Amino acid sequence: MRVLAVARNTFREAVRDKVLYVLLLFAAAAIFGSKALGWISIGQDIKIVKDLSLAAVSVFGVLIAIFVGTNLVYKEIDKRTIYTILCRPMHRWEFILGKYLGLAALLALVTAVMVLVAAVYVVVLGGSLDATFFLAGLLIGWQLLLITALAVLLSALTSPILGAIIVFSTYVVGHATTIFTELPPHFDGTATKRVLQAVYYIIPNFSNFDIRAEAANGVPVAPGYILWAMAYGAVYTAVLLIIASLAFQDKDV
Amino acid sequence: MDAIATRNLTKIYRGHIGRGAVKSLDNLSLAVAPNEVFGFLGRNGAGKTTAIKILCSLLRATEGEAFVMGQDTRRPATRKHIGYLPENPYFYEYLTPRETLDFYGELHGLTRAERAAEWEQLADLLDLRGIAGQRVRGFSKGMRQRLGFAVALVGDPEVLILDEPMSGLDPLGRRMIRELILLFHERGKTIFFSSHVLGDVEQICSRVGILVQGRLTTQGRLDELLNRRVNRVEIIAADLNEAAATVLAARSDGIRESEQGRHFFVKDMEAANALAADVLQSGGTLAEFTPIRESLEEYFVREQETVS
Repeated sequence: MRVLAVARNTFREAVRDKVLYVLLLFAAAAIFGSKALGWISIGQDIKIVKDLSLAAVSVFGVLIAIFVGTNLVYKEIDKRTIYTILCRPMHRWEFILGKYLGLAALLALVTAVMVLVAAVYVVVLGGSLDATFFLAGLLIGWQLLLITALAVLLSALTSPILGAIIVFSTYVVGHATTIFTELPPHFDGTATKRVLQAVYYIIPNFSNFDIRAEAANGVPVAPGYILWAMAYGAVYTAVLLIIASLAFQDKDV
Repeated sequence: MDAIATRNLTKIYRGHIGRGAVKSLDNLSLAVAPNEVFGFLGRNGAGKTTAIKILCSLLRATEGEAFVMGQDTRRPATRKHIGYLPENPYFYEYLTPRETLDFYGELHGLTRAERAAEWEQLADLLDLRGIAGQRVRGFSKGMRQRLGFAVALVGDPEVLILDEPMSGLDPLGRRMIRELILLFHERGKTIFFSSHVLGDVEQICSRVGILVQGRLTTQGRLDELLNRRVNRVEIIAADLNEAAATVLAARSDGIRESEQGRHFFVKDMEAANALAADVLQSGGTLAEFTPIRESLEEYFVREQETVS
């Protein structure tokens, strides 16, 4: 199957990307370094380690998605490897989907490894783990799938630097989307309010995937919420991939 | 049914800020019959690669249509019939030739068994066995071109589209490409290739098209296009005494000297025969007698000058 061939090759290529290992090294340093902040919060050290190590998984996962993802299609065009691929009897959407799935598989693996390392570290430090910790890891991974889809879309349309800036800005703003709705009263009825409300609905709300606080404190999260957050992410991801495929359909390479 | 046909193919590249639009291809209509070896000629920037990329569906034509084996090239299924070798082909540097062919075979929709059989066949044909396990990263230009040819042949397409297949190759590499083109011509393939190496084109093409500033100015069989009359004759004479050489030089249209002897140029065969007889009569030796016909290169230059 052509999509899987492209995905396998993308995975193989991304695994060889040195950026991946540099970021993984920093992620490991952040996970193990979280104990240092644990020391200054008396009696809360395991909670801090859990919270910070999950935050490290999220941030470094996002950085990998951005650095590798925004290069994904652009590099194929720049290095002209795309010529011998798109002249094959395949649809362009198959190429986009294959590139996405390859990086998504890598990110799933990387997230799983980072969460596992964090879990082992928590246990080594004498802490206990529950399902919420791993569900928090699952939602971080799910969030990365959405960010990767945005990175792939921008990779098909623009340069990696501009793409990285847009994806990172979206990630930051997506964690604070309430700023678009919680406006002072004098904005009522203005066009600015309507525009900001539209932005609120366009930008994905990444805080939906954030259950780190619950994981750190061992508070259970309803399975219904997890499923809802996953469905929310899946819809956004699908829409972004459809837009990427449409944008790439008639692009000159 | 033509193997390749284009109808009024036009490509205009939209201008960026501060630059106007550029028309790279202007109403290109050409037809290549099955099993033809078609040479697509033109100077740098004439639009050859643009036309080839439209045929391979890498670029969208602004106007017009392109067909391969009677099917619109925009349809993915049409591209089953096309084997494309880009100019300076690039492959994934971390793959070996075997992995590369396997990857493209999968994209072409071949089964695992078909891909294995394809490798056996192409590895022998393109001498890839010795480098089967090496990564593409360290490959020379010639090795890349061999691999590129193998990739173009994956799936056994009927039409081979080769963009400057001989560019940058050493004489042995060029000969290999020439021989491959002739081999696949014998096997019934249609070959459409662009080249700057006009000597090679003249040797292997049955028909050529010449593109000047995006427009096809000439399309036809080489023997019809080239003026095959003798344009001039070169006679090389050795062992001539000075007096005889002076007399013969006065009767010729040009002379030069080399280690072989004196080169006399005359306009037609009649004058050449008379001059050759006089060389022998005056005690000289006839080292060479060469009628010179118009070459594709001369035709190409003439065509460019006429249009500009």
